[in-house]
Amino acid sequence: MDNSILRLPAEQLFEDELNALIKAEKDPVPEGWRMSPKSVKTYICGGKVGKTVITPKYIGHERLVEIAIATLVTDRALLLIGEPGTAKSWLSEHLTAAINGNSSRVIQGTAGTTEEQIRYSWNYAMLIANGPSEAAMLKSPVFTAMEDGAIARVEEISRCASEVQDTLISLLSEKRISVPELSLEVPAKKGFSIIATANTRDRGVNDMSAALKRRFNIVVLPAPETLEEEMNIVKTRVEQLSSSLDLNAALPKTEVIEKICTIFRELRNGETLDKKQKVKTTAGVLSTAEAISLLCNSMALAGSFGSGEISDEDIAAGLQGAVVKDDDKDGVAWKEYLENIMKKRGAAWSGLYKACRELNE
Amino acid sequence: MINFFGIRHLSPAGAFYLREFLENTRPELVIIEAPADFEDVSNDIVRPETKPPFAILAYTKSVPVRTVLYPFAEYSPEYQAILWCHENNVPFRFMDLPSETFLALADERIRKIEQLETDEIDETEPVERKPDVYEMLAEKSADGSHETFWERTLEQCADFSAYHEGANLFGAKIREFSEKDEFDEKETKLREIYMRCVIRNAVNGGVSPEKIVVVTGAYHVEGLKTWENDEKLPELPAAESLHTLMPYSYYRLSTRSGYGAGNKAPAYYELIREGLIRGDRLYPAYAYLSKIAEKTRENGGAASSAQVIEGVRLAGSLAKMRGGNIPTLRDLRDAAETCIGEGSFAAVSVAAADAEIGTKIGELPEGVSRTSIQDDFYRLLKDLKLEKYRSVTAQDLKLDLRENIRAGSEKSAFLDLSRSFFLHKLRVLGINFAEYVPSKQENATWAEEWKICWTPEAEIALVESALKGDTVELAAAFQLKEQVEHSDEMSVIAKAVEDAFCCGMSAAANYAVGALQRAAVDAVSFEELAKTAFSLSNVINYGDIRRADCSEIIPILQQIYLRACLVMTGACVCDDAACSAVAQAVNMLNSVELAQNSLDTEKWLYALRETARRDDLNTKLSGLCAAILLERNQMTNDELKTEVSRRLSKGVPADLGAGWFEGLTLKNRYALIARLSLWESLDEYLESLDDEEFKRALVFLRRAFADFSAAEKDSIAENLGEIWGLNGEEVSEVLNAKLDETSQETIDALADIDFDL
Repeated sequence: MDNSILRLPAEQLFEDELNALIKAEKDPVPEGWRMSPKSVKTYICGGKVGKTVITPKYIGHERLVEIAIATLVTDRALLLIGEPGTAKSWLSEHLTAAINGNSSRVIQGTAGTTEEQIRYSWNYAMLIANGPSEAAMLKSPVFTAMEDGAIARVEEISRCASEVQDTLISLLSEKRISVPELSLEVPAKKGFSIIATANTRDRGVNDMSAALKRRFNIVVLPAPETLEEEMNIVKTRVEQLSSSLDLNAALPKTEVIEKICTIFRELRNGETLDKKQKVKTTAGVLSTAEAISLLCNSMALAGSFGSGEISDEDIAAGLQGAVVKDDDKDGVAWKEYLENIMKKRGAAWSGLYKACRELNE
Repeated sequence: MINFFGIRHLSPAGAFYLREFLENTRPELVIIEAPADFEDVSNDIVRPETKPPFAILAYTKSVPVRTVLYPFAEYSPEYQAILWCHENNVPFRFMDLPSETFLALADERIRKIEQLETDEIDETEPVERKPDVYEMLAEKSADGSHETFWERTLEQCADFSAYHEGANLFGAKIREFSEKDEFDEKETKLREIYMRCVIRNAVNGGVSPEKIVVVTGAYHVEGLKTWENDEKLPELPAAESLHTLMPYSYYRLSTRSGYGAGNKAPAYYELIREGLIRGDRLYPAYAYLSKIAEKTRENGGAASSAQVIEGVRLAGSLAKMRGGNIPTLRDLRDAAETCIGEGSFAAVSVAAADAEIGTKIGELPEGVSRTSIQDDFYRLLKDLKLEKYRSVTAQDLKLDLRENIRAGSEKSAFLDLSRSFFLHKLRVLGINFAEYVPSKQENATWAEEWKICWTPEAEIALVESALKGDTVELAAAFQLKEQVEHSDEMSVIAKAVEDAFCCGMSAAANYAVGALQRAAVDAVSFEELAKTAFSLSNVINYGDIRRADCSEIIPILQQIYLRACLVMTGACVCDDAACSAVAQAVNMLNSVELAQNSLDTEKWLYALRETARRDDLNTKLSGLCAAILLERNQMTNDELKTEVSRRLSKGVPADLGAGWFEGLTLKNRYALIARLSLWESLDEYLESLDDEEFKRALVFLRRAFADFSAAEKDSIAENLGEIWGLNGEEVSEVLNAKLDETSQETIDALADIDFDL
């Protein structure tokens, strides 16, 4: 593997696991797929194949993973919905990595995404010089996915304007793309599908039309159900990240992860874990993904400027940034949380409390 | 070789393949695992009017009543076996322990558990619980649930032999790995000895073993194979008992998981049976998802056929991923959630409940094996034209107790009254059939509203009431008598009087009135007296419309009322915790006095004045009495003004003053708000305070107005504003302005006042 690359795509990062799964395949493989649906599930949820241990990529609801994979087996498109940071893109990347061995057919949905980016556009120099030809065509990831019988990803579909979203309707129902300039009709090969992700916080920005929704099977990804589950996710991901980022710091201790997850869960749910006290919630979403990046951030601080071990000050700096975004109210909620909840948690929390309070004075 | 057919109770595939098996082997005798003494109801079971689900209920004749219940559905293998025997004229026998023995064993077990609970000696070392065999199975299976494992492996068997072998193997393995407690073990042993005995007797009776089919739970197959060993039947414990057939419901079937194997989705299991009969393995999948779509549309949601088609396809591929070919309920439910519910189960949960559980209730032919009280109940139901209310969906029934003057006969003229009597009797008996909805229209003595919903629980309660009497009326009378005899509290007896009148049972009412008279002589608390007076007053109010004679009650009410007036002032010496009960009693008594003309009003007003005037009582109650006096126009504005300034004067601790004010606000608030003189006095009081005192008073007054609505608070502020020379608009401007920082700080500072000084 090339260590100079900041972030390797999933299919390269987990190449060994994927190869082991393909080698050991016993079940029937759907057309256009590299492995059977069962193996895809093993790849996502973890397990063992021969001597190779498959690390779990998505921790939590195996049932939802099954539904997602089964959806792709039928020729339906898959729509993953959830709060920010509930591993929607993560899951879609790994699904395509396992099914096609290529997770890079992505369209990032933004307010500026145009219809051409979903269908095809032109290399204008060639278009003007030679007139329309296939060589002058710039095919979109969806176009190439149809040609190859593979899966394309559309991230944050609800950020796109409605007319751009609607382009997908005909692609998904007709399963063919037409290029009138060349009087060309390209039918999708078997195995073509789309995985889209959408954010519940963006609901109402560009709501998806009923017609488009109907072409998707919708899977809602929830926030981790229990503290243990969330800690497990954070721990696994931080380990993976720190080894690829060379952070030069020791991995966070379990107590540290527990503290972070506790604070995040309590501020997210608006009550303490034992449900005895109410807590003000913050406007920002304190997702699991954010907890992961917070810890990596703290490790970077500790590795570059500290002793190499995460200290309370390192975490406090990260927490301050994660909890208090731009809203004044978040600052108040955070201060109240510090004084009412954290201060009273006793010796184990006092170091973190002091470090946090210093930043708030 | 005897043919053993292992089944699971309530298994569609079991029921289907068992019939096929019987058809092929043509046995001369079928032996079924069911209590031996139930054979007498089997004639009623096979009648064409009998529609499953139904159940056989056995219950002990003496208290405490223990019951055992055997539910049957269309897809019960036992039921199908009985039907087959009936159609083919083949004799059958029940081979399980008689129900009286089951009841005796159940009684023993409950007693033992109760004893263990009272002993509490078991603190030495906690017994490590071995994992349940079903939990272990769930863990090992690809589906993560033993229920789904069973469905996938056995309900979806492709043919008879797969089911036959599979179920027998399943039973043998469960037997091998399960851990049972002492009681289960003993019971199982006893049952199998008995069952072996029955089989042996049948063979000794001359039927060749090859011509016998034994239908039993898969678990017992291994245990019964040794039937040839001659063994002695031990003495069986027995509790005197009766049993009866009763209609049952799918809802109830789904909530009972104790019966060997759970049957959480009866309506869905019926679909599986339908699929087996049609020979279409995928039928349950189409039918289930279509039903969900239909129900979703009925509930106002959108669900298209395209979504159903996608759902079936998704369920199919989910089944393949989980190692099967035909979707199980779990796959179907996931598919419904994804394709019809758009990712949220909440969107389809109501429809899913209907498709999985359903509202089906069984039916029995008229007069079948019912206890006499059941017969009476059904006769009355028919007589009172209430039969259409016997359904599991709740329905409203509005009764007009007045005579219908256009009706032809006396019976139809008072139909609603008779219905009310009947429903009240059921309420007294605790039979959960009709729920009384207190009328919203005040003082409409002639109107009654009921919510009626039939449940099998109601039937069970009805059967249990058989011990109390042979008819509904007798049982209710017995119940009321018990209530009167076992009660020391006067208000409970008064409640019984009220109930007896509601039920239209004059004899029972007279009995309770006599008991009440005796109880009224003893010393009782003010609250009791008030409650009693309230019940009696109700009886008198409703007496006419219920065509009851109240002449005997009026003197008792007068007697109790007098006592209550005399002890009230004394009862008002109490702390704040007791105060709300007393306040309730005061209000009750006030409404009694207002409702009855036969009572001496002056006595009550005197008691009120006394309580309102005195300073050594609970101030909140004094305030309440003052409020009642105000409401009844027995206190002038001047008197009120004096009272306010006296109660809120400077020397009085602020909390007492506020308590009084709180009491004053317990009655009609609008009358208070409109009374400007009150607010003038309040203003004077506030003016007289210095800053520190004002802060304290502020906190207590705030408490006094805590449960006023915002609009009410606004009108109070406007009143005060008027006194201070402001008009309404100016006041509301101030009220609705945002608090500035200094005011906020001042208010925050109030939290720090130390009231312990």
